[in-house]
Amino acid sequence: MKRILVLLLLFSLPALSLAKAPVIELRIKDHLFYPAEVIVPANTKVKLLVINQDATPEEFESYELNREKVIIGNSKAIIFIGPLEPGEYPFFGEFNMSTALGKIIVE
Amino acid sequence: MLLDIIILVLRETVEAGVILSLLLCISNQYKLGYSWFYSALSIGVILASVYAANFRLVGEWFDFAGQEVINASMQFIIYACLLTICSLLIFSNLKGYRQLKLILGIAIALAITRELAEMFIFYAGFFQSDGDLVKVFTGSFIGMMIGLSFGVLCYYAINIWNRSTSKIIQIIFLTLIAAGMSVQATQLLIQIDWLSASKPLWSSNWLLDESSIFGQMTYAVFGYESSPTLPEVILYLSTLIFIAVLSVVSYAKSGYLRVKPSHRSNPSSPRELNDG
Repeated sequence: MKRILVLLLLFSLPALSLAKAPVIELRIKDHLFYPAEVIVPANTKVKLLVINQDATPEEFESYELNREKVIIGNSKAIIFIGPLEPGEYPFFGEFNMSTALGKIIVE
Repeated sequence: MLLDIIILVLRETVEAGVILSLLLCISNQYKLGYSWFYSALSIGVILASVYAANFRLVGEWFDFAGQEVINASMQFIIYACLLTICSLLIFSNLKGYRQLKLILGIAIALAITRELAEMFIFYAGFFQSDGDLVKVFTGSFIGMMIGLSFGVLCYYAINIWNRSTSKIIQIIFLTLIAAGMSVQATQLLIQIDWLSASKPLWSSNWLLDESSIFGQMTYAVFGYESSPTLPEVILYLSTLIFIAVLSVVSYAKSGYLRVKPSHRSNPSSPRELNDG
């Protein structure tokens, strides 16, 4: 356990020292993501502010980004992504997989 | 829609189902009874209800990082429980049955809390939106049955072997599941920027696509990550190395104990060495 704590501290240090990440807003409405395509700079950490405007919960999920977060209805959530290589990284709403689809485009 | 619900429920059920079946195997092998299991199950359901009911509040903790902090904490506790059980199995030090029941119980209660809370939130949202109840119940039933069948299959697949082989299988599975837990918890801490994010070390998507059904199952059970970062790889490997070292130490210790009687004067046969 002690080893885990030491490792956590070790890896946390660079995170604490970094400058503030740019914030990008993403909204969920009628089980759709707005915008469905988000463009972010390459090799940069970005703070996604996901605002769920639906009354129902949604789960932001992306295998490519390794991200997973439940966002209760009419609430917001923060998800950090990156630094990423240029390319496309799809994401979806796990509670509405057929409609809530989008992608992060890294340029 | 139906397929979405099946996949959603299946993912949650498989993960908890494998841990449950594995720990029940150990309980069965050491004749611990089932009272601890029912207690852990009940506590897990209660905790999941409380967590789901207060999800909005919890989510706002630590500047909207509460969800990740709570989930990662639960995963690290399960991780510690699984490694403790693994260590006890390796050293065959299972005399403290009461403590073993407690550790098994904590692991199961938290595994259920983690998975069930998400399901409760999903269902609450569904009832709120007046969706198709038949599809939800049918999808949930199919997903749950497939997940439970997988758990039952694991239970019997481990139990059919003799005690020593079964023990080795249990140790291997416990180690892999624990390592997977550590990876998932690490990802959550990276997601809230509590751990430094770095570029993935490699991508094994060409070998096993993480979004495929099998990829999702291996992620849910063993924490398979097609593009892992350095902290995840370090934690995963540390877990494997830790258990491997314990196994070697245990083996060496038992070997040492067997030859220890050689200090006696002129043992006449290897059998005497062992019997001494």
